[in-house]
Amino acid sequence: MIKEGKASKSKKVKYFELDKPYTLSQAIIEADRCLLCYDSPCSQSCPAETDPGRFIKKLRLRNIKGAVKTIKENNILGGICGLVCPVDKLCEEKCLATGIDRAINIGRLQRFLVEYGWDIGFNPIDKKKNKNVNVAVVGSGPAGLTCAGELAKDGFMVTIFEKNEKLGGILRYGIPPYKLNDDFLDREIKDVLDLGVKVKTNYEFNGKGSIENLLKEGYKAIFVSTGLQNPYKLKIPGSDAKNVFTYHDFLWKINSGKVNEILDKVKDKNVLIVGGGSVAMDVAITCKLLNAKTVYCVALESMEDLPSDREDLHKAIDHHVVIKPQSRIKEILTKNKEVIGARGNEIKLLKKGDFSPSNIKDISGTEFSFKVDMIIFAIGSGVDPKIKEYLPNIKFDDKGYIKVNKDTYETSVKGIFAGGEIVTGPSLVVNAVRDGKKAAKSIINFLNKQL
Amino acid sequence: MKDLSITVCGVKFPNPFMLSSSVVSNTAEMIARAFDAGFGGVSFKGIGGPSIEIINPAPRMHSYNIGSKKLVGLQNVEQTTDRPLKDNIQDVKWLKKNYPKNPIMVNIMGFNKEEWKYLALTFEDAGADMLELNFSCPHMSVEGSGMKVGQAFKLVRDFTEIVKKNVKIPVFAKLTSNVTDITEPAMYAKEGGADGITAVNTVRGVIGVNIDNFVPYPNVFGKGAISGYSGPGIKPISLKCIVELAKKKELGLPLAGCGGIETWIDAVEFLLSGASLVQMTTSIVKYGHRLVEDLIEGLSFYMEEKKFNKVEDMVGKALPNYYETKDFDLSRQGAAKFDLDRCIGCGLCYIACQDAGGQCIEWDSEKRRPIPDEEKCYSCMICSFVCPVDNPPLITFKEIKGKKVYTPPPSKL
Repeated sequence: MIKEGKASKSKKVKYFELDKPYTLSQAIIEADRCLLCYDSPCSQSCPAETDPGRFIKKLRLRNIKGAVKTIKENNILGGICGLVCPVDKLCEEKCLATGIDRAINIGRLQRFLVEYGWDIGFNPIDKKKNKNVNVAVVGSGPAGLTCAGELAKDGFMVTIFEKNEKLGGILRYGIPPYKLNDDFLDREIKDVLDLGVKVKTNYEFNGKGSIENLLKEGYKAIFVSTGLQNPYKLKIPGSDAKNVFTYHDFLWKINSGKVNEILDKVKDKNVLIVGGGSVAMDVAITCKLLNAKTVYCVALESMEDLPSDREDLHKAIDHHVVIKPQSRIKEILTKNKEVIGARGNEIKLLKKGDFSPSNIKDISGTEFSFKVDMIIFAIGSGVDPKIKEYLPNIKFDDKGYIKVNKDTYETSVKGIFAGGEIVTGPSLVVNAVRDGKKAAKSIINFLNKQL
Repeated sequence: MKDLSITVCGVKFPNPFMLSSSVVSNTAEMIARAFDAGFGGVSFKGIGGPSIEIINPAPRMHSYNIGSKKLVGLQNVEQTTDRPLKDNIQDVKWLKKNYPKNPIMVNIMGFNKEEWKYLALTFEDAGADMLELNFSCPHMSVEGSGMKVGQAFKLVRDFTEIVKKNVKIPVFAKLTSNVTDITEPAMYAKEGGADGITAVNTVRGVIGVNIDNFVPYPNVFGKGAISGYSGPGIKPISLKCIVELAKKKELGLPLAGCGGIETWIDAVEFLLSGASLVQMTTSIVKYGHRLVEDLIEGLSFYMEEKKFNKVEDMVGKALPNYYETKDFDLSRQGAAKFDLDRCIGCGLCYIACQDAGGQCIEWDSEKRRPIPDEEKCYSCMICSFVCPVDNPPLITFKEIKGKKVYTPPPSKL
């Protein structure tokens, strides 16, 4: 009837553990705190249209399977979102329980319910009859997986093309395992694959038009969700030295079983991270979990304007990460091509909020230097230039992202749709899920018109 | 989703979930919204005869809270409908026209035989699928009505009889738990021809007294009254009544359970104990119509799990397991077992056992752990009720083969 679930634990990497999941009784106590507001402001603030007001009410009334259903039918990656979503900026920020005490822990409840469903073997996702129409999804990050899941639910034959060995994209390789680990990710990806989605991993597109050509190879529509694969590095003296990483390369190694390669470079060493976003905090905390000595984050923004999610920032501070705001690194100091330190300045902006290089001025007398052994850039990422070659007829915008119709996610080529960060630029997992869902709806419309 | 329909006295309900006759079934608009949300049927708010005056004590309800839990119970001094007869007739007609698949049971309360006959005929005429005879309102201001009838068994029979003689639609008698044995009035109702029993109305109670002004709740301008108490707090009483009625072989009538139903689990317990329909009010006061979604979904998932095809297949399934205490196998004994690896060291089990149990738990203050003695444990299990570690519970009852009943030694006085 109502059974206690088991926590999913990562046993692969001893440095990283997910936060403890709720037990059933803890979840019920938390659900009991929910006011069950009439029009659920929490439910109106999720880009992926998650309905916490409803799933918490269901949990409250012991309709636990129904609660799992409410989450998973709407978002096949609901468990992952529960783990990684910056809920304090979205649903929990709108929670009216704050008017009485504190917000309901919506993310944690969502994660609990999805894991509970797995543990009792309850799969609430229905699938329509097979339609025998092939659709290609290129890239298996959150947008691609969501879109593939939605299309498969509607009966389409979906094939995911993924260049890496395993599915998940940024979920697998771009999020540190203390936030989302392989076990959890694989359990949720299984829900997508169980719908009959086919997968081509280690798949390399090759040559001009190779993605567009899928339309000639029997695929009636293509969803492009390749994400941003071109991490930025500052072009400053020393940035080509050894031990200068991008967040992408660093997290890649952590997430592809190569922690040992990183460990020597980090353990008992000082690390400097350039950037002040959530990814910078992720990387900083990861270094700390790998027993780095001192970890610095140098960011252009002021402390109050740091783009990082508050929870990530607080966690970094809890791990004694040293934040150096309103500052920039101007030179990486090296000896025999090895990083030995970094030199920088505190800065001011000529025009508020404009971080373009011409608007940044050093404050004289604030020069600083850190003695560090490793530098990691976490200042965002751009579009992999090869994508343009694979998609020669697709229009891109000024920033290099794919141009789509905002309602239909259609690109400039009929039958090709796109979503996720390759369209929006750097964004949240939940926004990629939204794109995947909306694009799938539009693809279904498009294909149904043709059938 | 499973088919949750159930046919009772030839009337098909899309599911067994009904609004009980109360504030929640006062107007057609409210009932229509409840049907839209998923409720199967309704017992339309009690309608009195012309001799019963429409009254409205103000305020008419009060909430019983325990700690942070609100609305554990609800106290009310409300009586029959606050609307004129013609409006209620019009509402029943409208509902029958617009919601033909949702059965309407109309709850009526006469003062004398003529009135019972009049109300019964009036609402059969208006299209009611069933009637529910109110022999159970615990706080009528008119002597000789409501619960007073339910306690005077011959009147139950006579009033049921006059109604049955005049209408063709099925008639349920709604009984009160404020009697020694509810099967007695039920048998009288059967004698009068009742087709089913609704059990129970609110229980006579007092949720509290304001300790500053000495007036019981709800405070009707300085006066309180022993009156109707409902909600989760009365579920053990209403469930007991259903069991007693269901186990009474000579009765053999379909039952509508009412009193403290909030979740699908509550509803399933009533169905397993012999009810074919379940009615609710206080839970709707607390959650609104939106709770029916969870009753429907929860029951449907449960039926899938337990492989029940029809709701009626589960009605009464638990009845064979209700025994008299004399039937217990007293040769089998056991004890509370502790999973001490998960113990957090709060000592609540120790307090409970020392002050209310068998003094069979000692306390290791160094390790902050209880030291249970299984020999002495007499299996009251109160330690497990206070233990905060749950899912699965840290303290469980386990049989110990060959264990003898422990007799405490004489007091050391």
